[in-house]
Amino acid sequence: MNTKIKKIFKHNEIYLFLIIIVFSLIITSINPAFLTLENLFDLTKSSAGMGILAIGFFIVLLSGGIDVSFTAIAIAGQYISANVLMASGVDNIFLAFLISCSVGVFLGAVNGIFISIFKLSTLIVTLGTLSAFHGALLAFVGTKAINTAELPDCFKVFGHKNIFMLSRADGTSYGLSVYVLILIGVVIFSWLILKYTMLGRGIYAIGGNRESALRSGFNIVGIQFFIYCYVGFLAGIMGVMHISLLRYSNPMYIVGTELSVIAAVVLGGARITGGTGSILGTLLGVVMISILEKNLVLMGLSSYWHQFFVGLIIIVGVSITSYQNKRRSIESLTFR
Amino acid sequence: MAEELLEVKNISKAYTGVQALDNVSMSIKRGEIHCLVGENGSGKSTLIKIVAGVVKADEGEIIINGRLYKNLHAIDSIEEGIQVIYQDLSLYPNLSVAENISLNQMVEIKKKFISWKEVKNNARAELSNIGKELDLDVMVEDVSVAEKQLVAICRALTHSARLIIMDEPTSALTKSEIDSLFSVILGLKEKGISTLFISHKISEVLKISEKVTILRDGRKVGEYSTDELDNDKLIFLMTGKKIANSSFKYKGKEHDRKVLLEVRNLSKKGNFEDVSFKLRKGEILGITGLLGSGRTELALSLFGLNKADSGEIYIDGKRVRINSTQDAVKLGISYLPEDRLSQGLFIEQSIGNNIIITILKKILNRLKLISSSKREKSIKRWSEKLDVRAPSLELAVQSLSGGNQQRVVLAKWLATSPKIFILDGPTIGIDIASKSNIHSIVRGLANAGIGIIIISDEIPEVLQNCNRVLVMSEGRVIRKIDDVSDVTEEELFNIVSRKELIKVS
Repeated sequence: MNTKIKKIFKHNEIYLFLIIIVFSLIITSINPAFLTLENLFDLTKSSAGMGILAIGFFIVLLSGGIDVSFTAIAIAGQYISANVLMASGVDNIFLAFLISCSVGVFLGAVNGIFISIFKLSTLIVTLGTLSAFHGALLAFVGTKAINTAELPDCFKVFGHKNIFMLSRADGTSYGLSVYVLILIGVVIFSWLILKYTMLGRGIYAIGGNRESALRSGFNIVGIQFFIYCYVGFLAGIMGVMHISLLRYSNPMYIVGTELSVIAAVVLGGARITGGTGSILGTLLGVVMISILEKNLVLMGLSSYWHQFFVGLIIIVGVSITSYQNKRRSIESLTFR
Repeated sequence: MAEELLEVKNISKAYTGVQALDNVSMSIKRGEIHCLVGENGSGKSTLIKIVAGVVKADEGEIIINGRLYKNLHAIDSIEEGIQVIYQDLSLYPNLSVAENISLNQMVEIKKKFISWKEVKNNARAELSNIGKELDLDVMVEDVSVAEKQLVAICRALTHSARLIIMDEPTSALTKSEIDSLFSVILGLKEKGISTLFISHKISEVLKISEKVTILRDGRKVGEYSTDELDNDKLIFLMTGKKIANSSFKYKGKEHDRKVLLEVRNLSKKGNFEDVSFKLRKGEILGITGLLGSGRTELALSLFGLNKADSGEIYIDGKRVRINSTQDAVKLGISYLPEDRLSQGLFIEQSIGNNIIITILKKILNRLKLISSSKREKSIKRWSEKLDVRAPSLELAVQSLSGGNQQRVVLAKWLATSPKIFILDGPTIGIDIASKSNIHSIVRGLANAGIGIIIISDEIPEVLQNCNRVLVMSEGRVIRKIDDVSDVTEEELFNIVSRKELIKVS
């Protein structure tokens, strides 16, 4: 029993979990409405999209890469699918997902080609494509926002779909959004890939020691290509979830939130140098960042503080990784 | 069943004009422990790469298990059961011991999905195969070098290896770990698995091998059974020279020389405790002990990289504090690190840039910019003084052999005109001819009045080059030997190993 508890405390996730609990209690003491089922449902719904992006980014990070273009891919998927649906008059949410995810996979594949085949630096490529994808969207597809009245009904219906409903004291009702199912689906699917397929273990292997992975016969080009396509696919899903949540689309949205996602993943314990981290940690990181984002105002701080904290978290997270490496290198007496 | 597992016949290979291998043949029997020796650049690595199918030979044949290959591919080599354990071990630090052992074989048989039960079972089976136990779930980055080596060996065994090639496997191991590795190799022999062992350390070669193939300048000098060889003969065959084992004579009497450095009761928790010694002008002090005895930690403290908790350091009789490498350099201390590639050199930079890096301030012109004439002069002076052999001094350091690289590191520090020079493992991974050359450079420095500390676990190196020796164990100085002529190699060895004795040399 005792060793079991010790084992739990060996994982970084437990500390983040405890911090989230403490933080939640503090918020609840200021605003008792925080720790209600309704608010938790609402929080889950609004952060599910970020969770999906974070899982995509986590997988990239695991392989030793970095992707900052996924927000541009998400907005491109969203805006293109909404426009296609409006132009064609087909009002079907599945078609919207199909289009958005196809756009996502296509743009992801562009990243993938540069990174896997031409072996360019992942950060530089995706910094470039972040700007290129977004610029192309604004230039070729348009800049006009889609307002709620114009928006095809299927998005609005999807955004309001719940798995089950509960009623409040006053007779009105609230529910748990289907977004949760999508998030759970993505989590389980990604987890299965990472844990039980050779593709997934290859992602860990590349992130741990690329040279060895190459020597032992992993198809590195294929694995990297898959990773960036998969991130694009997830961004496509997030795009549709986002528009359905807001019931409004502006092609300037989503881009600019990539640092929050990166902060969430880093907070979740993934090493920025690749190879380590967990999906559970990533989700906890998303929970922490979302709570922070939604409750700073409540705590009397302006929402700009969010930006400040996101930056701080990234720097502290990277410093911790670097410090641990330094400790390890001092222990082995190699000063790098 | 044919007795010969591997035969290479008349292999030649040239790289852009350089004949790396010239008509080399070698054969390895089933269950044989074969050593491949030769100086740096003698063609050992090329030969291994050809056997592994990574590099193609220009001429010659390879016969494995009786099958003739004219064009051996890496995949053929693996399928025939040849496994190379490279020096870097090629492990995944972020994955568990079990996965590191099993993963590559699963890639090889083109698995799509992974069964964790199978991963663990395979790993456990291979570990018990070599009679070792390791925690399967621990991450490889958290285990010791010796354990990493076991993981790499087990991984090789998962490929149903018949021949395991180990490239310099002992360089980062302690003596008892080397012993344990040797017992594993002997265990493999009993199972009919052959080992091709590549090493610089003569004593190890003589201890473990049955057959020795010697290469020199891309040619085979001969294939000997180990009983025919002894230390001197092997050195002669490798280098083509008789290398005189002269020893260092400390000039002057103990007391007419000035004390350069004095250390009093220096301690650092967990590293070393209560270390005191003096270093005089013109003497070479040896510090020896097993890996982990605190010898390197102590040296790092003197160079400001590992701040001591308590104790005093005096230089020229004045008490000093050494909190950073800058402090150390200002006080006239230089440090030649154990791992010259990652700590001593900028391997992608030119030889010249590496030499002047420590004296940039001295070669400025009036505008405080680097004067190219002063730069050239310094580079020329030091590369000639240390006999750095290279086609051009603007070539990257990584293109040099180990011995030449070490000369560049020496040049770089000598350019600062140090008073005290600490050399940690000055000849690790360096071939014998260069080794004796570096020893003579170091002796020359001592004769010129520099105080030198050599840290080494090679007993002969310490005895030949030092006039005094400190033996460390578990962080303490357990013996001070004031005159090395008082001890024999064997005695010093017994002191160092504190009776956890093995039969080396």
